[in-house]
Amino acid sequence: MAINLFNILILLFAPFLMIGVIKKTKAFWAGRKGVSIWQPLWDFVRLMKKGAVISETTSWVFRYTPVIGLGAVIFAAMFVPLATGRAIINLPFAFVIFSYVLGLGKFFSLISALDTGSSFEGMGASREACFSTIVEPAFFIALASIAALTQNYSFESIKLILQNAGGYGYIIIALAAVTLFIMLLIEGCRVPVDDPTTHLELTMIHEVMILDNSGIDLGLITWSAGIKMFIFEALVANLLIPLSWVWWQSALAFLAIIFILAVIIGIVESSMARFRMTHVFEFIFLMSITALLILALVTYRIYGGG
Amino acid sequence: MGIYFLSLGLLLLGALLSIVVSEKWKIKVCTISSLLSTGLLLLPALAVLFTGMEIGQLVYMSPVVGYVDFRIDLLSAFFLVVISVMSFLGVLYANGYMKPYLGKGMNISSHCFFLMMLIASMIMVVTVQSAIFFLIVWEIMSLSSFFLVIFEGEKKEVLNAGIKYLVYMHLSMIFIMAAFVMLDAHSGSLRFASFAPHVQPGSLYANIVFMLAFTGFGIKAGFVPFHNWLPDAHPAAPSHVSGIMSGVMIKTGIYGILRFLLFIGTPSKLISYIVLAVAVVSALYGVLYAITQHDIKRLLAYHSIENIGIIGIGIGIGMLGLAYNNHIVAVFGFVGAILHVLNHSIFKELLFFAAGSAYLKTHTRNIELMGGLIKKMPYTALLFIIGSVAICGIPPFNGFVSEFLIYAGMIQGVPSSSMSLFIVLILSIAALAMVGTMAMLCFTKASGIMFLGNPRGVELENVTEAPRVMIAPMTILAFLAFFIGMFPQYFIMIAMVPATMYTDGLRGVGPLASVYNMTGELSYYFFMFFILLAVLLGVRKLIGIGKNETKHVTWGCGYDRANNHMQYTASSYADLFISTLRPLFKRVSHIKKPKDLFPEEAYYEQEIEDIEEAYIVKPLISWDEKFLTKFERIQNGNIQQYILFGLIFLILAIIGMVYFGG
Repeated sequence: MAINLFNILILLFAPFLMIGVIKKTKAFWAGRKGVSIWQPLWDFVRLMKKGAVISETTSWVFRYTPVIGLGAVIFAAMFVPLATGRAIINLPFAFVIFSYVLGLGKFFSLISALDTGSSFEGMGASREACFSTIVEPAFFIALASIAALTQNYSFESIKLILQNAGGYGYIIIALAAVTLFIMLLIEGCRVPVDDPTTHLELTMIHEVMILDNSGIDLGLITWSAGIKMFIFEALVANLLIPLSWVWWQSALAFLAIIFILAVIIGIVESSMARFRMTHVFEFIFLMSITALLILALVTYRIYGGG
Repeated sequence: MGIYFLSLGLLLLGALLSIVVSEKWKIKVCTISSLLSTGLLLLPALAVLFTGMEIGQLVYMSPVVGYVDFRIDLLSAFFLVVISVMSFLGVLYANGYMKPYLGKGMNISSHCFFLMMLIASMIMVVTVQSAIFFLIVWEIMSLSSFFLVIFEGEKKEVLNAGIKYLVYMHLSMIFIMAAFVMLDAHSGSLRFASFAPHVQPGSLYANIVFMLAFTGFGIKAGFVPFHNWLPDAHPAAPSHVSGIMSGVMIKTGIYGILRFLLFIGTPSKLISYIVLAVAVVSALYGVLYAITQHDIKRLLAYHSIENIGIIGIGIGIGMLGLAYNNHIVAVFGFVGAILHVLNHSIFKELLFFAAGSAYLKTHTRNIELMGGLIKKMPYTALLFIIGSVAICGIPPFNGFVSEFLIYAGMIQGVPSSSMSLFIVLILSIAALAMVGTMAMLCFTKASGIMFLGNPRGVELENVTEAPRVMIAPMTILAFLAFFIGMFPQYFIMIAMVPATMYTDGLRGVGPLASVYNMTGELSYYFFMFFILLAVLLGVRKLIGIGKNETKHVTWGCGYDRANNHMQYTASSYADLFISTLRPLFKRVSHIKKPKDLFPEEAYYEQEIEDIEEAYIVKPLISWDEKFLTKFERIQNGNIQQYILFGLIFLILAIIGMVYFGG
């Protein structure tokens, strides 16, 4: 129980620090001093104190979407092994439930964007919906292959690759890490797919969907976006942390990996520009390729080589 | 069995009564008879499902048909529940939907009559177990639904769609007949019970029989490449008929496939792979084309193809499980498929009804012209959104449960002994995931553009909420969708009953018990999820107290004179996706360019044609026409010549008899 509480607290508050680290890294690369890493949290608190401007066009869909989105993200996180290396809800086929629960949040964020009747927000929704048609199959291929390899259907399978694949395990882990990292960039709306700090509506994806949200709603949305990103970082972290570690070892390693990943994201964002929209697809297809490579390796491991 | 015949009799009585009573009462009579017969029919059907004991009776019908075996076995019982309940909700909805058509000289009598006949024939299709009488009721089902489709037959496109439907149904009939003839010739009996013992499982003969039946029933169900009648027939038919046809009637095709699977015993690997491949293609194809559609009922029709594909994936997985002797996979596949039959009928009817209500109020099926309906039709909008969430397979609604079972079957089948099976299964998992996300793209488009935003063409002044008699069946359906999603374990138990027919009863119980426990656990977590949502909402409200909320126009990036035509449209929403997959679509553009110094009229229109129709069906038809025109010389209308043909035939026949008979 206490461990679960610890996991939930980290889940809820680490995302702010994670975003802070990313910002700090970017500031470092730009030669600036940058804001404190606590700034995202203060921003959140500030938003919580604000009133809101709501479009006349909108309906209850727009009003309840931030809450549904946040709820879905938190619920989805329950199926993922978090800081202490264990999922709070450990069920077989958890990755299916996980993606479909995230789908609930996504569904509402998409129709909430259409709810405003804006000429821009549908654009972001269209892009987000379109990207996920390519992302999800790749994610499922990777996770199902790993489940087959480890003979373990729960999310813990991603921690068991090394035991089951021997030498190939390192390659599979690397490929899976790349797959999940790309997915993290897409779902977390980071450069090179999307630029969270962009100022031109036409080039936005996630930001343009929430143009009309303000005040508390905006705060909730940024929070859930942070949590979502954190979940995918947690998946990458879990690839590297063995199941056998006790909870505090696991938690320390986990937090260290999250920190390193945040720094990597910051470096990626500082060192490259976002892709042109047409090239984004090529980048996303990279994820399909790595997923198929995992499938090929797993197939070879199970059936090949005598 | 007496109750069963009584309920059939009630339906036929309703059909006849609806002809004689006055126009106002016709649909009410149908509703009452349908309600009574549904109530009666549920008794034996549920009794069979819960006790696991089948019931049946031999009835002497006529010298031609002979003794007919009416039998409610586990499979029939499940389909009976789906058919009777869903049809009744359709008839209930018709009370509101048909109101504007009353007193306009439309042929309400025949509509009511055929509606009752359709329900009665569907009930008989799943319970008759004698070949000839099965074909007869199958034909009655096709014909009565044909008459329902052409309700507005004075419109040309409706009649065309109806005739196309009729042609496809008879094509299906040929294949089914051929399959039955083969079985009959082999076993020497017309009763279903006598077929299975005479078939050698896995033999070439069994494969051919099954493939014939799969083709025939697949046309009815709408598997690609036999799906073409669906997107035409559904928009043409009145909404309750579309709902019943899409939600219930095409499932008789699934029933047929499942029934034939019982005849041939353990399927061979070859046909299992074929079924799975056809199903995956159907699912992807259906949803791909659904995204391109702007006619809401065409869109839903394409989604039926998708969902039939998902059911087919379940059946395919189940067959592969049997073929590879992996009973865990088989159980999950069949249970998933059978449960999806129920689930699809629920959310598809819900969506068709909600779309029908919108059509009734806005007089258009083009979603590009709708928008903002949620302000005038809040219940319909809410129900449509619930249906959309359910059809995308998003928890905690029913679509998730069956898709989850199919995923579970596939993932468990993965560590198999065969490499080809392994790769096929993983790719099917990816395909199913892709189908899910594309469905999300499609239904965010449909619900977002239709009900949200500002009106795009149809003004909202005259739009009002649908009457209660239409809201009621939709509410029941939405509640069912939610209930199955929240308590999946009980419905999995029910769907397990017919699945035991394929997996030798008890052998599948072990893994399913674990699934039962697991989904029970899941339903508990879904409760927690709702508590979480409630808490979040409460906290959100609490923080919001005292904060002022200002109303303003939608942010237009500094421009606040945006009008309704500047909104994102359905085409633009789908365009990114469609242009990414350009080779898969055939775009047909109608352009009239502005001309001269003072251009008067100009337009640009683009539609997307079904490639299967454009590149396969149409060339086939034109080839067929070319070939058949060669016979014009023979068909010259000259009676003397026709008599000569008869004479020549007789002579040839006599010569043949003498030659071969001797």
